[in-house]
Amino acid sequence: MITVRSVSKTFGNIKALDEVTFNIKKGEIFGILGPNGAGKSTIVNILNTLVRPDKGDVIIDGVNIKNDGETIKMIMGVVPQEISLYEELSAYENMMFWGGLYDIPKQKLNKYIQKTLEIVDLVNRKDDRIKTFSGGMKRRINIACSLLHNPKILVLDEPTVGVDPQNRNHIFEVIERLNEEGMTIIYTTHYMEEAERFCDNISIIDVGRIIAQGTLKELRQISDVKDLLTIKLADSNSALISRITSENPLFRFDSTSGSLKVECGNIGNDTSIIINQIQNSGGVIERINSQGTNLESIYLKLTGKELRD
Amino acid sequence: MFRLFKKDLTLFLHDQRSVILTFILPVILITLFAFAYGSIGHFDGRSEPVSLLVTDLDKTITSEAIIHKIDSVEDIEIIVSDPVKSKDLVIKGEYACALIIHKGFQDSLEYGSAMPVELVYDRSREMEIGILQQNLISILISSTSEIIIKKRIENYMNELFPDDENEISDDIFGTVIKNDRNKQVIKWTPVVGEKNDTKLGLIQAVAGTAILMLLFSVAGVGTSILEEKENGTINRLLYSPLKGSAILYSKMLFAFFISILQLTAMFLFAWLILNMDMSVSIPGLILMIIATSFAVSSLGIFLAAVAKTRQQAHNLSTIIILVMSAIGGSMIPLFIMPPILQKIALLSVNYWGIQGFYDLFWRVLPLKEILPKILILMSIGIITTLASIRLFKKRIMKMQ
Repeated sequence: MITVRSVSKTFGNIKALDEVTFNIKKGEIFGILGPNGAGKSTIVNILNTLVRPDKGDVIIDGVNIKNDGETIKMIMGVVPQEISLYEELSAYENMMFWGGLYDIPKQKLNKYIQKTLEIVDLVNRKDDRIKTFSGGMKRRINIACSLLHNPKILVLDEPTVGVDPQNRNHIFEVIERLNEEGMTIIYTTHYMEEAERFCDNISIIDVGRIIAQGTLKELRQISDVKDLLTIKLADSNSALISRITSENPLFRFDSTSGSLKVECGNIGNDTSIIINQIQNSGGVIERINSQGTNLESIYLKLTGKELRD
Repeated sequence: MFRLFKKDLTLFLHDQRSVILTFILPVILITLFAFAYGSIGHFDGRSEPVSLLVTDLDKTITSEAIIHKIDSVEDIEIIVSDPVKSKDLVIKGEYACALIIHKGFQDSLEYGSAMPVELVYDRSREMEIGILQQNLISILISSTSEIIIKKRIENYMNELFPDDENEISDDIFGTVIKNDRNKQVIKWTPVVGEKNDTKLGLIQAVAGTAILMLLFSVAGVGTSILEEKENGTINRLLYSPLKGSAILYSKMLFAFFISILQLTAMFLFAWLILNMDMSVSIPGLILMIIATSFAVSSLGIFLAAVAKTRQQAHNLSTIIILVMSAIGGSMIPLFIMPPILQKIALLSVNYWGIQGFYDLFWRVLPLKEILPKILILMSIGIITTLASIRLFKKRIMKMQ
């Protein structure tokens, strides 16, 4: 559906994108994960033909963006990061305006508005002015306004920033429903759990470069991040710790937490073996914590940095 | 572009503050200014009479005759008082001046010595003093001249014919004075402002205030582009199939439309409520409204284009509009200003607009005579529009 090949873009002295390449299949949810300023919005703007790449090609639904920007804009819906709505207009007036920009006949547009309001669950508030809405409701209308021309591809640029958990779940449900109906979704975020929750494929971007991409499983393999067991001993005297770590070289003592840390390929299989090894070395276990591989640890491993809000 | 225009109009109508600022506030200001300037446009130049405190210490037939003559002047209202009280009332600011005719006034006329007449006045009330000065000098010169002439004729006749009655000298005096009174030195013929009933003050109030308020309204429209940039709606518009230039042109069209609407509403108000005479060149009026609206709306958008942020645009436009309106004649009638300021005024859009409306409503000139001012206004509009397009493309439409 979308092919991005060796795309680079420089703004003044800043290299916003450097040889970015990825493919998005029809009907998948593709996550672009990276901190602020990593280049996510530049990718969105290039996909929507607003920014012309200095180098490389972008083919969307068989159309090169350099040749036919109009067609691209018709098949793509973009949900901006900001709540880009007219606060003094009602939800319905906003939707009529934004949908109207795509030359949809009024009767048809009215039908789409009704349907979209049902999807975002705001039918009852359609005549209220946006300024009376909560942050989460504004986000939902922000999404709704990008769906009215029935795009094949929906780009969501950080759609849950500043949204409470209840509204966040509501937005997730909307995204999942749209995807189930066959819409291809590009989802940029710096929230790992969101990317983990519904992205089929994830591209990790940092300082304009793709660090890694693939499914979560593939990213785990690429990054070689392992599950982690943290074991607290009842008595962690130095002689005992020395004995355990010398007999088990993979065990590491973290003096800050006063715990033993063990990386393992599979927590489920390896936990009982590790417990036996500690007990054989004379250790008495007080508490065990396990931490499976997640996107956060993969990102940390790949970039050496933590993703923060 | 029509959709954007319609959206801006809906937003404008939803915003009660904008509607009040565009229509209600100018109407209030025009009414206030028209009331304040009201007397400026009187055709015969008459205003409320100026009060004059008068103290007659001479108490002779001559002094009483002079006071009576002053009292007969329409522009002056006499209030008799004593000298101490008169001075006190002038010092307290209750009256502009007091005339004190000292003892020996009549004798001074008879013997040709200096007249013991004193005018005690408050220097800050120049306009009232000016009116009094003009009238008092005229009355004193004419009245005292008559007395002096009469006295001299009597003296001369007494010397020549000591035994005769005074009848001959009275006849000679009557003939001299009659002939003198019938003589009209200057014929005053007004050639401007006599063709219709509109007062100059009303034209000043309507044109000056309307252009000032127009500038504020369109600066608001211009600032809304920056507001749209800041809240992300410009970017969202650019995500749609809409062309970037359509966004700017729709704003310009909306500012132009609001300007025409506002200016037309102000003249309708002046016509229907303030009785402004509309028997002027209608094509001239329509073209003046269009040209002024175009110049003002383009300037308002330009001010927003120069600024980088909404706050900067707001501050910049407020300063420039106020300065331009002050020097351009929106706040103070231009003819009151010193010559240097009248020359600087040529740089303001207010000047050309107000002068064009003066030509229409006060001088009642035909369209042909107003065309140069219309062309200047259109030129201001074209230049600022081109500059705005350039600046907007560079600053507003540029994606990050």
